[in-house]
Amino acid sequence: MTQSVGLSLTEQQRAVVERPVKSKVFLEGPAGSGKTTAGVLRMLHLLDSGVPAEAMLVAVPQRTLATPYYDALHSPDLAPGGQVTVVTMGGLARRMVDLFWPLVAEKAGFGQPESKPTFLTLETAQYFMARVVRPLLEQGYFESLVIHRNRLYSQVLDDLNKAAVVGFPHTEIGGRLKAAWAGDPVEKRIYDEAQECATAFRQHCLDHNLLDFSLQMEVFVKHLWTLPLCRGYLLNRYTHLIADNVEEDTPVAHDLLRDWLPHCQSALVIYDEDAGYRRFLGADPESAHSLSELCDETVRFTGSHVTSPDMEALASRLARSLDRPAEPASGNVLSVLSYEFQRYHPQMLDWVTGEIERLVTEEGVPPGEIAVLAPFLTDSLRFSLMTRLEQRGVPARSHRPSRALREEPSTRCLLTLAALAHPRWGICPSRFDVAYALMLAIEDLDLVRAQLLAGIVYRNQDGLPALGSFGKINAEMQDRLTYVLGGRYENLREWIEEYAGGPEAPLDHFLSRLFGEVLSQEGYGFHRNYDAGEVAANLIESVQKFRWVTDEALAEGEKPLGQEYMEMVEDGVVAAQYVRSWRLQPEDAVLLAPAYTFLMANRPVDYQFWLNAGGRGWWERLYQPLTHPYVLSRHWPRDAVWTDENEYQTRQEALYRLTRGLIHRCRSKVYLGISELGEQGFEQQGALLQAIQRVLRQVQAEENTTPLRSGGAPDV
Amino acid sequence: MFRPRPKQEEVLKYRSGKMGVSAVPGSGKTYILSYLAAELVAGDLLEEDQEVLVVTLVNSAVDNFASRVASFIRQRGLLPNIGYRVRTLHGLANDIVRERPELLGLSEGFQILDERAADQIRQAAAEAWVRGNPLSFDDFLSPDLEQRQLDWVRRKPWPELVNGISSSFIKRAKDLRLSPEDIKRHLGDHGKPLPLAQMGWAIYADYQRALAYRGAVDFDDLIRLALRALELDEEYLERLRHRWPYILEDEAQDSSALQERILRVLAGPDGNWVRVGDPNQAIYETFTTASPRFLRDFLDEEDVVPGKMPNSGRSTLEIIELANHLIDWTREEHPEASLRDALALPHIEPTPPGDPQPNPEGLPGHLRLVDQGYTPSEELRAVADSLARWLPEHQDHTAAVLVPRNQRGFDLVAELKRRGIEHVELLRSTRATRETAGALGNVVSYLADPASAKKLATVYRVWRRDEREDDEAKARVQQVARVLGKCRQVEDFLWPRADRDWMSELDRSRGPDDTLEKLESFRELVRRWQGASLLPIDQLILTLAQDLFQEPADLAVAHKLAVVLKRAGDLRPEWRLPELTEELAVVARNERRFLGLSGDDFGFDPERHKGEVVVSTVHKAKGLEWDRVYLMSVNNYSFPSAQAHDSYISERWFVREDLNLEAETLAQLESLVGEGGQYREGEATARARVDYAAERLRLLYVGITRAKKELIMTWNTGRRGDQQQAVPFIELRTFLEREEHGPTP
Repeated sequence: MTQSVGLSLTEQQRAVVERPVKSKVFLEGPAGSGKTTAGVLRMLHLLDSGVPAEAMLVAVPQRTLATPYYDALHSPDLAPGGQVTVVTMGGLARRMVDLFWPLVAEKAGFGQPESKPTFLTLETAQYFMARVVRPLLEQGYFESLVIHRNRLYSQVLDDLNKAAVVGFPHTEIGGRLKAAWAGDPVEKRIYDEAQECATAFRQHCLDHNLLDFSLQMEVFVKHLWTLPLCRGYLLNRYTHLIADNVEEDTPVAHDLLRDWLPHCQSALVIYDEDAGYRRFLGADPESAHSLSELCDETVRFTGSHVTSPDMEALASRLARSLDRPAEPASGNVLSVLSYEFQRYHPQMLDWVTGEIERLVTEEGVPPGEIAVLAPFLTDSLRFSLMTRLEQRGVPARSHRPSRALREEPSTRCLLTLAALAHPRWGICPSRFDVAYALMLAIEDLDLVRAQLLAGIVYRNQDGLPALGSFGKINAEMQDRLTYVLGGRYENLREWIEEYAGGPEAPLDHFLSRLFGEVLSQEGYGFHRNYDAGEVAANLIESVQKFRWVTDEALAEGEKPLGQEYMEMVEDGVVAAQYVRSWRLQPEDAVLLAPAYTFLMANRPVDYQFWLNAGGRGWWERLYQPLTHPYVLSRHWPRDAVWTDENEYQTRQEALYRLTRGLIHRCRSKVYLGISELGEQGFEQQGALLQAIQRVLRQVQAEENTTPLRSGGAPDV
Repeated sequence: MFRPRPKQEEVLKYRSGKMGVSAVPGSGKTYILSYLAAELVAGDLLEEDQEVLVVTLVNSAVDNFASRVASFIRQRGLLPNIGYRVRTLHGLANDIVRERPELLGLSEGFQILDERAADQIRQAAAEAWVRGNPLSFDDFLSPDLEQRQLDWVRRKPWPELVNGISSSFIKRAKDLRLSPEDIKRHLGDHGKPLPLAQMGWAIYADYQRALAYRGAVDFDDLIRLALRALELDEEYLERLRHRWPYILEDEAQDSSALQERILRVLAGPDGNWVRVGDPNQAIYETFTTASPRFLRDFLDEEDVVPGKMPNSGRSTLEIIELANHLIDWTREEHPEASLRDALALPHIEPTPPGDPQPNPEGLPGHLRLVDQGYTPSEELRAVADSLARWLPEHQDHTAAVLVPRNQRGFDLVAELKRRGIEHVELLRSTRATRETAGALGNVVSYLADPASAKKLATVYRVWRRDEREDDEAKARVQQVARVLGKCRQVEDFLWPRADRDWMSELDRSRGPDDTLEKLESFRELVRRWQGASLLPIDQLILTLAQDLFQEPADLAVAHKLAVVLKRAGDLRPEWRLPELTEELAVVARNERRFLGLSGDDFGFDPERHKGEVVVSTVHKAKGLEWDRVYLMSVNNYSFPSAQAHDSYISERWFVREDLNLEAETLAQLESLVGEGGQYREGEATARARVDYAAERLRLLYVGITRAKKELIMTWNTGRRGDQQQAVPFIELRTFLEREEHGPTP
């Protein structure tokens, strides 16, 4: 949503934007009513009015929501000046901890206050959690829990994060979860075990100066915000606050704002009704709304810049079908809803891509105005859609590539070569991996010759991998493989041999050298392959980050970093995926994204395709047996049991908010892709489909017409 | 317009309470139950958020039901798909568990392992146990074994048997809702040694741990967990009771104790629950807790309104008489007294006069029980001969050969193939699924071994497989494939050097005119596939599928295979193409139940296969009917009668005193929790014989009642030539002879 200063304003927006500098406004309204636009223009108006950029803080709950502000600040129309700070509360916490570390390290209980802190990413936090929890698993912890081990680590981390952003001591995690547990009483022990893991991890972090997200927040809130020096620094510096999408932020973030608002000269707090999509991350719309009390006045935007009356009618009918209160809206629902029942999942994908192609080629819809949404996007689904759209010549982009880093062929190639260059690690790749690595590494080497070559030169000698020389192959085979390719192979092999003979370099250095000195050279596979180059850069970055935080930990165990990294990749603990910036992808392309990701990007489109509308995923929240977003919130009464009624209402509410959020970000039409049998071949009759069918039945009854056939009403 | 029979009408009047309907074969129970569902949906009895829940046994029936109910609802001018839900019991359990997984210690991403994956994990656990306890079970082996035999038994059949036993043990333990910890506690309390239960427990514990570690549950867990969820959370149960105010259950005779319990709990004490079934068609009981007794007991419950559907217009009067005689003879004269309740009344009654479905007329000689004792291969040939004579003259008729076991079906299919007799398989997985898996498997197998010309030639045949139908085109494909197969260095074809291109050296006179063109497009394709072999397996499969298949059903199967293989690969990250090829091969070879998606799997309609012969197990033929039915292998091995001379598939030759170790193990398990009294060796084996014989009697009854106009039964003397006619076969043959020579009673 690129904004420019000259954008025309509605009256209600102008009233907010052009308020006197010293005013504090709480702005609420539905999605699409122009609140963020007002926020951006208010920021620019303040700058125009002479407020120094350095005095302005824009707080958002998630980086993607900052995009409109960044775009405006990077606009060429903007007069040069200082820098407005656009930040998440987590980001602010980290900056402050970094800045004031020497003052709080000891007080906060860190074991080495004189040494520097190490900030953990999600990946590296997971790695350390794994180190702490694994020995406990061996002792039989969590035995009754059916869960993949990696998810277990991330859920305990999540518990710690919840404690930090909701603001309760992390030692209460187990007790709170236990009190709400309605299942088998015997199973309560898993919460004690989770508590033990959380405590042990926290202690490990304190001992080694490691700060995961939860510790960053806690140190900031408990030790820095209460420190006059730090608090004064922030309050004096930032006297103009804009907080957007506060409904997606956490109670602790709201506490900070609550302290901050009385000290500001101006404030604009923006609240989106019906949202709260990040509840599973601790978002708390109720506590956000209470910030209005600290503002001079509350303004409510009405109307929508996005949706038509027909679309409003769809939202309203769907809401009522889900038993939620909604004003009846008159409008033709059937004109903004299109769907077709298919028998099989791939047929549904064909229909969706066919309709998209039709929109783009026949109706001239820009691809960027189309979003394909699903509750979850599996890699297979993403891949299937991407290839189908590609075949039809429709550009598409996704919020992440359809392969995890460890599944990228280029990554596998680099890691395989790394294993070959470090025989000491004792990692022997399979013959297939070696063949694939050679095929990718050497330009023009085809699969047939790569397999032949690997079959001959690759040996596993006493558990150590080794590559033989091309020169020692018999002449006939050399001829088959060709001397050109043989020469390239030999170069690569000699480079590896030479490296292996010298001192071991850190893995990221090794990879950089391998890439720079061999693979990116002419005659090698990464020479003109920019995608592969990007993947290599990503991998190197991941290894680097891993090394920065783990060096010390690994020194204790004397395991080479590279070996540990490779094992973690294989295990799926690290480098499971990485977020590539959206900006690197074509702008005007069909977007494939999980529905919530789309909502959080907050960018309306003309057409939405809801995939798999019959699937149950639309009605499911993330079930995490070791954590609970609602129980670990401020509103949950201590000792209350989480009942089925709670669960049911929560889900109805979530589906309502989700569909409402989507519809409010759709201008022209919602397409429903429906297949009787899901991806796995099971019948589908999810809550979303049922709700929509109820809407259609009502419409049918009102219009008293016969049901439409294919392309019209569901008819299976 | 549908006009119900008087007895059917009584069932259709149902509006509330509990009702139990016993229905004979061919009485239209699926039809009536669908009709009733539609009546309830249309009848203003449901609130907006309520559904009629229809529960049935197998997946294929789900589709049948769903489309029937939908059509009845459409006839009433209503939108289909609203107000009802058709599920198998496993599907229902899945729905229940998926809605509240956290209640059961499951994460949202929990997987349901299919049979194959569960088998692999269990087999690993069983093998580990055998390795850890190499000699401890010699006590159970026959003392007559020679050392050579003993070594071999320990190496091969014994581990297989342990695997089989542990499979039943785990199933039963789950049915009894015993966790490994429970069993361990009971074993500790028991005092006396129960080595078989001890073994079962050890493998069970290992298996469950492996599942939990992978975040997975198996099919049996689903049932157990669903019931647990309903018991744990009263509110949840109430919500589901509200959602499903009516439960209609088909094939109720095959429900296990636990499955029945789920529905009973869901219906509630004052609920609306209709159970329809035929205790005489209960054929899924061996080593499960399913029993026709549950349905019979239900029919006897005080608040249950009994219904009957005794009329059937399916078969000729003579076939009906034969089936009824089997019931009477079993009840009154079966030589083994304990088997006399294996079949129960009512008799099948023909349709009343004026019925829209009158019973067909029987032709002379349309019932033949062949007395001659064939060898197994003679029997195959005899049936194939008969089909070869009959089919050409009866192109507008339907026919099926029913076999007691899959393997027998495969053997027959091979014979039919050899003779070019048109046939359709209704065995474990469908041909379409197997062909899809097979085609993909061949390509993946080549990609794992890309220098092989032979495999490349196979890939060519797979690619052009649609041309198989046309003889001339098929010959051309074969010819090109042969040329390819002789390519000495595959890279000279696929990735030729400037100075050495196999194509340019190809002798143009050796293939059909367009050979070069075909080869060129094939080369393009294979190059692309080779590039795709670097992708994760699911993406490779999806890429291949787009090039290989056009049919939506094939693409859907391929998509599912992609997802399944991806999961298999995630569980075993060390797997590469050869192992993944093997997974595909297993599906293709039909060694695993793979929930297929092809048209064949859903609502199989014999009428669509006129002029062909359908080969099916008797189990799979349930609910279906054909003009002519062959029933094979009716000997005392496939259909034993608990007689002294019978032999049993579950009694292995290397086990002492003909012990059925599977049954003995389960008996030990049950004795731990006080079921079945004190454990005494041998009793369970004897009981298992009776149970098995009873189920086989019902299987025979099901087989006979599949026939509309003609029925031919044959038997064979078995591999060693020592098997005899099954006792009921002799009885039915005698009965027929009496009928033919004496007056009709």
